[in-house]
Amino acid sequence: MVSVHVYGKLRRFAAESDPCGDSVIDVPHAAGDTVRSLVVRLGIPLDELGANVFVDGRYADLGSPVEDGARLGLFPDDMQLLYKWYFRPKGTNE
Amino acid sequence: MDPERTGVRMDRMLRVNMTDRSATFEPLPAAYRNRAGRWLTSSIVHDEVPASCHPLGPNNKVIFSPGFVTGTAAPTSSRISVGGKSPLTGGIKEANAGTGWGRRLARLGIRALVVEGQSTDNRFWLLKVDTKGATFEPADPWVGKKLSEAVAAIAAKSGGKERVDVCAIGVAGEHRMGAAGVCFTDREGRASRYAGRGGLGAVLGSKGLKAIVVDDSGAADVPIADKATFDSGRKKLAAALGEHAITKPKGALNSYGTAVLVNILNEAGGLPTRNFREGRFEGAAKIAGEAIFAGNKERLGHDLYNHPCSPGCIIACSNTWHHKDRSEHTSCIEYESDWAFGADCGISDLDQIAELNLLCNEYGLDTIEIGGTLGVAAEGGLWKFGDGKRAIELVHEIDKATPLGRILGNGALITGRAFGVTRVPHVKGQSMPAYEPRAVKGIGMTYAVSTMGADHTSGYTIAPEILGVSGKLDPLDPKKTDLARTFQYATAFIDSTGHCLFIAFAILDIASGFEGVVEECSGVLGTKWTMDDVGRIGKAVLDLELDFNRRAGFTAADDRLPEFMSREPLPPHNGVWDVPDAEIDKVFAS
Repeated sequence: MVSVHVYGKLRRFAAESDPCGDSVIDVPHAAGDTVRSLVVRLGIPLDELGANVFVDGRYADLGSPVEDGARLGLFPDDMQLLYKWYFRPKGTNE
Repeated sequence: MDPERTGVRMDRMLRVNMTDRSATFEPLPAAYRNRAGRWLTSSIVHDEVPASCHPLGPNNKVIFSPGFVTGTAAPTSSRISVGGKSPLTGGIKEANAGTGWGRRLARLGIRALVVEGQSTDNRFWLLKVDTKGATFEPADPWVGKKLSEAVAAIAAKSGGKERVDVCAIGVAGEHRMGAAGVCFTDREGRASRYAGRGGLGAVLGSKGLKAIVVDDSGAADVPIADKATFDSGRKKLAAALGEHAITKPKGALNSYGTAVLVNILNEAGGLPTRNFREGRFEGAAKIAGEAIFAGNKERLGHDLYNHPCSPGCIIACSNTWHHKDRSEHTSCIEYESDWAFGADCGISDLDQIAELNLLCNEYGLDTIEIGGTLGVAAEGGLWKFGDGKRAIELVHEIDKATPLGRILGNGALITGRAFGVTRVPHVKGQSMPAYEPRAVKGIGMTYAVSTMGADHTSGYTIAPEILGVSGKLDPLDPKKTDLARTFQYATAFIDSTGHCLFIAFAILDIASGFEGVVEECSGVLGTKWTMDDVGRIGKAVLDLELDFNRRAGFTAADDRLPEFMSREPLPPHNGVWDVPDAEIDKVFAS
């Protein structure tokens, strides 16, 4: 299972969408999962996703692998305030 | 107009001596002709302030300087730089704020306002600057008052908020506390915009200067040497700000304010929580920018987008928080303030955070330093993390200037010493802002080597490859040493332009926006600067500041993060600060 934490306008993909709480989607893990495969499986349009994507709290991108049991954090394009230069990305497949 | 104003651009200094309460207009020295903002405040501090002087003694000075393009039609450019020797760090300080005050100073043709000497009559004074000159009057009626009341009264008696902006210190500055900031009015006349960090409010207090009111009615527009170049530049910048997802209307900053970062840093495991014990706060979502937006909507019955803090800002990131009865509680709950009173204090109640923010605005305090201090005070047993009511009582102690209040009002390091606390997150005596160095190593480097002490704005977000000062770098694989230096050079340049640092988000991604900023400056000054000058100017600023700090006694041993960060793993990543000292020392070694 992957625990996907969504924020801003992406909260609509979670059952609990209170902006003052945690919006979490639990997704069954599949072999070879990446950020992209999970985002696509959840039906989140790629163009709504910003650069602030985290796998287990580490800065990531669409190509980053996601292990079973991981926490995936997704912020929309209008919230990408933390600049990418601060982080070494986890996986740079794309 | 003053006859000395003969050049292409505001070319005079106003020198105010508090010892004899004289105010003298002087021509701007030729060496400073193309300097403004942080470059000019740091130049004057470097050239005129003895590095060994006591920050609260008569030999320190407070310098105000608007940036190159402040007062023009350049978007988001109403920043005023304030400089001096910091009573908190003992080193050089530049803090800046967005306000119409600097814009009015620029329109009066004043590139620098230098406050020197020291009042000998134990009284506080109000300085009024307008087209006729500069005059003093006693500030007795406003001493000890809340800043909102003092500033409103001063503005009202000086022609109203449409005509003047006010700079003032609060009770904390009057009592010369190290956490005292310099307050400026925002576009609505609120006492809410701060050159907050480093205790420059205490330096003004030590001089006996309570407030400076600037009236630019009747002043001419800021002269522009090359209007075509200037217009080309400002249009490029405006286009970049208008299209970028972070800076555009209803973009991240306009919708959620800087507090959108609460959830992001929390997700990254880098949101310092309960005095930097943890990197995630369970109450983050309750205090984040989204919660502020939702809370205001619930209380007001409609969406409330953010407003500009100062004239000419097209980003408009400044928020307000409202009581249940819809009345305004405070402005502005910035990310840093939200974090300082929220996650760092373990408080997840926005009304309590708003009250703490309001009290700092009223008493003239730096919210970052006071939030950090409260975190240390909780370690010291003065209160329990999460007990917002007690935290509010402690801030009232500062207003009352009780012995406890004076300890707290002198910041995190002094409070840690007073109560025997070893976990004191600071560098050079200035408490750390809202990015945890053990999770965000790049910002840790910035904290370590910044000339300002722990300061997130010293090196914010500039892509090194844009600047050409240290060769090409792979942005996804930063060499932290180069990155820290390059970021700081770029930031020092932006701090000299008068632009808000938040333009960096847009001009980082949209190269024509950055070119536009350089063109704006060239247009105003009549220079032929290119992108190569960004690094040159940034280096010049930093070299002045580093030299001052060296003469003030700083060594490499001061460029270190506190020991506990090397010893205590930080959840959730459980990493420690492990950047070797040798790598830190390379940043400014050349």
